[in-house]
Amino acid sequence: MQQNNKSSGLTKLIPYGFPIGPLLAIAGLSAGLVSGNWGPIPTGLVVGGIAVFIVWLLLALMFAEGFWNKRSTEVGTNAAISTLSILVVLGLLNSIALRNPVRLDLTESQRFTLSPQSQQIVKNLPQPVTVTIFDRAPNPSDLELLQNYQQQAPQQFDFRYIDPEQQISLAQQFEVKSFGEVYLNSRNGEKRQFVQQINPQSRLTEAKLTSTLEQFISDRTYTVYFLQGHGERPLEAGSPGSMSEAVQALEESNFVTEPLNLAERTEIPENASVIVAAGPKQPLFEGEIEALKAYLNRGGSLLLLIDPETNPQLGNLLEEWGVQLDDALAIDASGSGRLVGLGPAIPLISNYGNHPIVRDFSNGYSFYPLARPLQLEEVEGVEQTPLLISAQESWAETNPEQQQLQFDPERDRRGPLTLGVALTRTVDEAADSQLPTPPEATESPEAEEETEATESPEVTESPETTESPEATESPEVTESPEVTESPEATESPEAEEETEVTESPEATESPEVTESPEAEEETAEQTPDLDKQARMVVIGNSEFAADGRFELQLNGDVFLNSVNWLSKQNEETLSIRPKEATRRRIEMQPAQARLLAWMAIAILPLIGFSAAALLWWKQR
Amino acid sequence: MGTIVGNIIAIYRKELQSYFQSPLAYAIAGIFWLLSGFFFVAILLGPEGIVQQVAMMEAQAQQMGFRVPPVDVAYEFLQMFLQVMGSVSLFILPILSMGLYAEERKRGTIELLATSPITNWSVATGKLLGVVTFFATIVAPLLGLEAIALSAANPPMPFAVPLLGHLGLILLAASVLSLGMFISSLTDSTILSAILTFALVLFLWVIDLLANSVGGPVGDALTHLSLLKHYENLIKGVVDLSSLILFASYIVLGVFLSAQSIDALRFQQS
Repeated sequence: MQQNNKSSGLTKLIPYGFPIGPLLAIAGLSAGLVSGNWGPIPTGLVVGGIAVFIVWLLLALMFAEGFWNKRSTEVGTNAAISTLSILVVLGLLNSIALRNPVRLDLTESQRFTLSPQSQQIVKNLPQPVTVTIFDRAPNPSDLELLQNYQQQAPQQFDFRYIDPEQQISLAQQFEVKSFGEVYLNSRNGEKRQFVQQINPQSRLTEAKLTSTLEQFISDRTYTVYFLQGHGERPLEAGSPGSMSEAVQALEESNFVTEPLNLAERTEIPENASVIVAAGPKQPLFEGEIEALKAYLNRGGSLLLLIDPETNPQLGNLLEEWGVQLDDALAIDASGSGRLVGLGPAIPLISNYGNHPIVRDFSNGYSFYPLARPLQLEEVEGVEQTPLLISAQESWAETNPEQQQLQFDPERDRRGPLTLGVALTRTVDEAADSQLPTPPEATESPEAEEETEATESPEVTESPETTESPEATESPEVTESPEVTESPEATESPEAEEETEVTESPEATESPEVTESPEAEEETAEQTPDLDKQARMVVIGNSEFAADGRFELQLNGDVFLNSVNWLSKQNEETLSIRPKEATRRRIEMQPAQARLLAWMAIAILPLIGFSAAALLWWKQR
Repeated sequence: MGTIVGNIIAIYRKELQSYFQSPLAYAIAGIFWLLSGFFFVAILLGPEGIVQQVAMMEAQAQQMGFRVPPVDVAYEFLQMFLQVMGSVSLFILPILSMGLYAEERKRGTIELLATSPITNWSVATGKLLGVVTFFATIVAPLLGLEAIALSAANPPMPFAVPLLGHLGLILLAASVLSLGMFISSLTDSTILSAILTFALVLFLWVIDLLANSVGGPVGDALTHLSLLKHYENLIKGVVDLSSLILFASYIVLGVFLSAQSIDALRFQQS
């Protein structure tokens, strides 16, 4: 219609024609943006608007200048050809530049560049991989990260944003439960894996994405065994306090989970990547502890979640690692938990150590209902990194039954408390450090035979046990059976006067202990460093990973990241640090700031305007 | 070759002179300074300014006892300010480019230009250089203000990112002015030329919004045309070769089309 009008009185109409194109386009754009739905009407309006604009532009060119009707069409065609060719050249140049990205990141911390590990993995993807994000709209920083990945290998890596409310079938296929779920999937749709849940507090991170990518393309399976038989949290959904959500989350991260009952099988399976003891209530048998020790000595990984007021008898195992479980309850009086409805007995943690497990957490929250503080003591050869550090205004309450929870300087330990710790020990050194713990080590073979039978009679023999130095340190340790055998017990007081190391020859008597270090030394030489490393994470709480708590805040991430780190997979990628800005402030004196403000708002514009006025006056 | 450069310089000097003797140019500079000065103060020093906001956030975090991720105030300020400067330029640049050829047309001097021995593209290049220099000149005092603010940064800020950001601003301006110059050569109404340029630039500014909905390779190509995307890349501190090439393409295209359009005029007149 527009054009019909024009053809009659074109030259006159031209000046009126120009606003119509942009108007239509803007109407279409705004309609599309507001409704968020690019149906035929907004798109049509935009396209129509652009078309009208172009037609108008051409007409204006022709008529205003007498382009075609006056001088030779030859010049016109020449111009058209050269214009076309320069457009083609520019277009080609741009597409070449787009295909071969050359980027230079001038920011201080290389904030917009992927780490070498990520680049390596993305460039060497064996099959095309798609990242699917179920969210309404892309977040700019997430988008930036994904584009950086894509730039590394545009053929092999791509990503898509899916609105789960619009593409319901796809969302169902991925079993999406909420907004912000991120999945990796192979392009043929055969395989998929959950990456993380994104929300304003936790954005997509490079460490997470790359480590998931690495898991996704690797064929190795990692098996996580959950210790059973001592009142640990059940794994099946439905039973009270179960950990089914945690188990499911592990399985989504390609872990295989199995229950492990050491009463049925005395050995820890060969394929165990991680052993989890989630809130054992009854004491572990001596033999089980030995099995765990042996497992650790061959480079195993153990996750201990131990609640307060339980006594799993892990004292001497933990002692080797320099960890002591406080017989107390962590009280958080900082009041930060109260804002989110948590009481003082539920410490809210926002301060994390410097460790791959918690590196991404910066200011996120995790909470631990009824937690047990840990005390760390340096042990040679063991690297200890506190993970969860409670607030300044917290303490270890030794008498939680009292009416009013109050800090008692005589009995209670002042915060900040460590509620979780990550430990590593290279096994070579472990063989040495194994030696200065003789009584437990030497007596273990007998203990194994007898503990089942005689567990209770510690009370009667307590006077004797006080003689042995270890018993005074940890009164709970059930060494009673050995004490009755006395030959070793009589030796130990003498040993105390010398050094404990002198007792080490006795340790060689026990067949288990002597065999395992040698075995490690042999394998250690052949296998990479990681296999020589025994790892442990101890957290003074298991409730945080139980159903109902697991998906809240960062609780699930604490658990998953711990297992991930313990399993020793994708070591390198887990250590990718999030790109943080330099902490920089602008510190101006008030006078300086005021001067700057005046200059910006008044003086500079005034100079401009007065110069204009002056010139105008002069030229008049 | 020497004469061509000489010609370009001659045009360039003539253009510059006309700017510095024109009350309109100073008035534009005044408006530009007023607008960006206002934003400068609002972003940096005002009650909603970044210095105050970060201080408040930090105090709150301390009270609550959680750790906040480090904030680079100087960098964030620069981002915000350059972004605003980009938008302000969007309004100012069409006004600067509107008279480049339209004025000559109106005064009737375009015939002289078109038939002069100087090639059309050297005229266009000279004009573009002149107007870009003028824009750079009016940006310079703001750079001074920023330098004062950033010199108070602790720890000191490296120069690479701010300089790159301003280079980005100049490149953006040159692209817009170049396209504006072409539009100005089409009409003898300066107002019309300004409005058209504004519409075109606005369109190029937000074209990635449109591109997102189109999707596919066409969408990708359209996204690449977006001025905003490449400008933001540069002010962030990332030099992408494709961004530089895109800006260069706009500049070359503008100069070429202006020269073509005047060329057509020459043949028409002779």
